[in-house]
Amino acid sequence: MALQLNLLHEEILEQRQRQRDPLKIGMLVLAGCGAILFLYYAWNAYRTLEIKTRLSHVTADWKKIEPEVTKAQKRATELTNIINATRVLDDYIDNRFFWGPFLEKLSRCVPPNAQLTNLEGVVLDEDKGGGISVTIDGSTAAREPRSAAEDLRQMLLEQLGKTYFDVKVEFKTLEDMETVANVGGTNVPMSHFTLGITFNSSKSKPAATPAPTRAKKRSSDENS
Amino acid sequence: MKIPNLSSDQIKKLVLSAMGFVFLLYVYFTFFLGPLQKSRDTTLARIDEMQKKIDGSKGEMSKAGNLERQAKDATARFASLKALIPDGAPIAWFPPRMKTFFAADQIDKASARLESNTSFKQAELSSWSKYNWIIELPQADFVALGKSIADLENAEPLLSITKLSVHVVTTDSQFQQVGIAATTVIEKR
Repeated sequence: MALQLNLLHEEILEQRQRQRDPLKIGMLVLAGCGAILFLYYAWNAYRTLEIKTRLSHVTADWKKIEPEVTKAQKRATELTNIINATRVLDDYIDNRFFWGPFLEKLSRCVPPNAQLTNLEGVVLDEDKGGGISVTIDGSTAAREPRSAAEDLRQMLLEQLGKTYFDVKVEFKTLEDMETVANVGGTNVPMSHFTLGITFNSSKSKPAATPAPTRAKKRSSDENS
Repeated sequence: MKIPNLSSDQIKKLVLSAMGFVFLLYVYFTFFLGPLQKSRDTTLARIDEMQKKIDGSKGEMSKAGNLERQAKDATARFASLKALIPDGAPIAWFPPRMKTFFAADQIDKASARLESNTSFKQAELSSWSKYNWIIELPQADFVALGKSIADLENAEPLLSITKLSVHVVTTDSQFQQVGIAATTVIEKR
């Protein structure tokens, strides 16, 4: 067998070693990774820019409608306030006590042999239970003046009970007077009385309604 | 896989390269990709917020439109109530108005004076005030008075009589002396 001598062995080995240089390979890998990372960054930057463009569009849209929205919100608040104020005002108006019908009823209850000299009526505060309190001073002249006063009390109780609720008519005082009245040429004794009347104008408080229109309308005959 | 025999110099270079790579990754994620991601998240959050505002505003505008239609009656009624109140200080117009009103029913010498002025407890009526008046009618016929009070209560929905006192005039039994405590609701101006 013939002996072969490779004189370039060392040179080839050196060349191979240069090719397999880990630093070189590392640098190549690093460059590759760097390129990938750069591309990834560029992609992310592009997406970010795209999102920022979207934001500027959305902001422009918002700026366009913002004045209208502010106006609408202001108007809505104003309308809500008007609706609420009207509702409360209507409640106030509807819950008033009407003295006209009461005075009419009272005048119809007083017989010819009785005279009212003083009337004090007051609408009690809601905090104190509400209702109406009336004090009437007067005198009656009849054979039985106390009985005439009692008739007046009964009449008031009956007539007021037709319209109002929880009606109470009570004597605070009822006393004979020393003076006599001349009725139809006859002298008849007199009595002086003080009546305390309490009642409620409505059975129960009406529930607050959200409707803006007047919830309750009083009949014309009640007010006239 | 055949691991090439590495010299100590090569191993040193390799370790240094690995360390450099790790450092590069750290710098990349912390100083490049991190802020970018953060900026993107912030922008997305702002878009989301803005979009919600826009969507909400559409609802708000339609709500205002609906409310406008629903509030027609209330607005008209509110305007009619406001129209009952003349311009100017109540003390300037209320007493003459009462005097004229009762005079029309043959109840002369009516006078009205302001007793107090309070605000409403209800938040809805924060722009309205209660004016408490004392109306005095020194000479009134009972029938005329009843009619006049009924007319007053119907004509002035914002007026409420809280107290009424009627006394016989000793000098003339035909007439009564009347005191009325009334509260009017008046818008603050």
